[in-house]
Amino acid sequence: MIEWIQRRRGLIAGIIAAILFAMWASSQYEPRVLASILLSGLTLGALYFLVTSGLSLIFGLMDVLNFAHGTLFMIGAYIGFTLYANPRLLLNTLPFVLAFVAGWLLARWLPFSSLPAGHRRPLWVVAVLVGVFAVWGFELAPLATTALSSGGRVPTEQAQAPVGLFIARTLGLAIAGLIAGAAFIIGSEHARRPANRDLAWPIGLLALALIIAPLRLSAEGWILALDSNTRFLLALVAGAGGGAALGGLMEWSLIRPLYSRPIYQVLVTLGLVFVGTELVKGIWGPGGYFMELPAWFSRRGPSCPSPNLIAWLQDNCASIDVLGRPFPSYRIFIIALGIAMFIGIAVLLRYTRLGMIIRAGVQDGEMVQALGINVRRVFTLVFALGAGLAALGGVAAAPFLGISPGLGQEFQLQAFIAVVIGGMGSFTGAAIGALLVGLARAFGDQIVLTGIQLPWMSEAMTFSPSIARASTVLIMALVLLLRPAGLFGKKE
Amino acid sequence: MRDRFTSSQWAGLTLIGGLIIFPFVVSLFTGQPVESGVPKFWQGMLIQVFILAVFAMSYDILMGYTGILSFGHALFFGTGAYTIGILLKHAGWDLGSALLAVIVIAIIQSLIVGLLSLRVSGVYFAMVTLAFAQMFFLLAEATDFRQWTGAEDGLQSIPVPAWISPTTERLRFYYVTLAFAIIMYLLARQVVNSPTGRVMMAIRDNETRAKVLGYHTLTFKLIAITVSGVMAALAGAFNALWNLNANPAVLGVGTTINALLMTIIGGVGSLIGPMLGAGVIQLLGYWLNVFFGPSWPLLFGIVYILIVLFLPYGIVGTWRLRSAGWLAMWRERSRSLIRFFNHP
Repeated sequence: MIEWIQRRRGLIAGIIAAILFAMWASSQYEPRVLASILLSGLTLGALYFLVTSGLSLIFGLMDVLNFAHGTLFMIGAYIGFTLYANPRLLLNTLPFVLAFVAGWLLARWLPFSSLPAGHRRPLWVVAVLVGVFAVWGFELAPLATTALSSGGRVPTEQAQAPVGLFIARTLGLAIAGLIAGAAFIIGSEHARRPANRDLAWPIGLLALALIIAPLRLSAEGWILALDSNTRFLLALVAGAGGGAALGGLMEWSLIRPLYSRPIYQVLVTLGLVFVGTELVKGIWGPGGYFMELPAWFSRRGPSCPSPNLIAWLQDNCASIDVLGRPFPSYRIFIIALGIAMFIGIAVLLRYTRLGMIIRAGVQDGEMVQALGINVRRVFTLVFALGAGLAALGGVAAAPFLGISPGLGQEFQLQAFIAVVIGGMGSFTGAAIGALLVGLARAFGDQIVLTGIQLPWMSEAMTFSPSIARASTVLIMALVLLLRPAGLFGKKE
Repeated sequence: MRDRFTSSQWAGLTLIGGLIIFPFVVSLFTGQPVESGVPKFWQGMLIQVFILAVFAMSYDILMGYTGILSFGHALFFGTGAYTIGILLKHAGWDLGSALLAVIVIAIIQSLIVGLLSLRVSGVYFAMVTLAFAQMFFLLAEATDFRQWTGAEDGLQSIPVPAWISPTTERLRFYYVTLAFAIIMYLLARQVVNSPTGRVMMAIRDNETRAKVLGYHTLTFKLIAITVSGVMAALAGAFNALWNLNANPAVLGVGTTINALLMTIIGGVGSLIGPMLGAGVIQLLGYWLNVFFGPSWPLLFGIVYILIVLFLPYGIVGTWRLRSAGWLAMWRERSRSLIRFFNHP
């Protein structure tokens, strides 16, 4: 019995602390206030979870601490918002990306691999020159500007490049991709010619790029004419997909060469924070944007707020009645999204082959590699997965918190704290840590609003929001003192 | 070996001498008086280089010599700046005792932060220190302490004693900061070359081995953090004196990243590297700003990533690695040239 208690003393202490806190909270606030605080905490916790889960998986599997995770969150928000409010920017850049990738893939079918490796450096230079020449004078910032109208943000009537020039640029980038791809494969011994059916990929991508090029304007109108719910779903998909693509690219190009120098990986990700933030400022401007809520979460009327979730499904009110207090329905959606992602990743980790490899890799990566599994490819996949989750969180947070270049940093910090609390590399730990930090922030915000009155005080104390934000660091310090490896972390 | 040692000493003395006469050289070339115009501007540039050089050097004592990656170094820099600002402005202390207080507070702070965050190692340490620094950043921004810290506006117009005022007595301030940088460099060299410094390097190379050899590594890591923290706090204090203000940005992540950049570009694991890096970054930042306008941080970030990827040892490290080869190559070339002229 005593031994049982000793082994679980952490758990027992946690439960006692939770019960004490619950008693204090219920004596301090009436139930309906408490319910909204808890729901707000869950909302924040769900968003933090989307960031921490990727951070924790990436660290657990490949020991890379991705400082750019918050930046990916922020970029995801921008991509989603762009599709939602101003698809012109995406439509004007997507063909370039597609054409470059198509060219890169195509290089493998041409007899480049027989060239001597000495040609590699000049080929890189030529590729960069062709690429720069192809996009010379192409301005992104005018495409990203929008004007505020009564129906939300609309694209401004900035001139897009004429179709001919645009197609020329697309082809130029395809050629740049071809040369870069050639430079990448020459001199490597195991570059063999792939099967012919895979040729469909580059040709298909190039064809898609060339089809989008003349249809840019009509596609833009078509997307903007969709109802806001569909656009919102598309934004979620595009943000997550774009984030995953960026994450995969990042791992493949910048992190992978540095696996022998772990500290430099962290330094590179830190540099990417710098570059990513400045790039976003350069394209979308240093100011912030506000993303409209889709119709599902924005209806107002006499029947609002919806009395319960079932009724909300019919009337789509902006808020739902929770014990007599309206609570924004969009935040309920964020909670649902967080829970769905938690279940999804748990299922992926538990029941799929990829999940099995990831779990095995977290325990002992070298052993997995020795068993003949291509760990490098799994690394890229997991990096993309984590980045995609963070970017999805970014899109989901956009209508709730607004979009600005500084969005990522705040989330990054709280996610770090959550990961340290939960324990690095533990998926459950990431979820619990995110939840704890989310709840702490929600209670902090409430205390900022109403002040706090502890039993020995005659008057309520008030704080500014900054202190509520700083207070999570104290929780982290406490956890570190008691359990340096975090609540669910492995002992070193 | 002795020969090379003296030659590097000579290089150091020449550099110091050059920096001492620098204001007068600029004044001679531009024809403007030392106390105003272009010479005054360049003194300002170099004052910032000296301050940042000490900051970067303190960072490298942690990162390059002890192998501790901290992302919260702004904590010490910013606390130093705020301490001296508050003591001078609100408490009315004189400069000497305020500087002494900066040192004492930095020692206490680095011991507390060190004891708490050294419970974890590696990247965990980086994250935890980042969180601590961010906490102080948020506290500096908090409106609760507006009467002391000035919240998000920061401490404005710190009353710096007139004899050292960076606006009216710039030349004197220049020499004071130069002396400060030299003294800090000599102190750091003493620490690094002492037996304690050797243990720090042993921890960097292999902590388990140092432990097995019987060293209490936590103590040595705490010493490293304290030395580094005090230096960073003094640099922060001088930064506050130079800017006449202290705003929350000195506690922000950007300040830490700046130290990191200077250290990486200059060369990890040397004292002179980060100091050179400070000079390079300050001047490069200035020129990039002149040529590319507001988009220069983007270029800067790209340059930084390229350096991390392709020049991992920085300027000094690469020089140390390659200089022997380069020198041999040049010697060989000049010899063949001489041979060519002798027997055409």
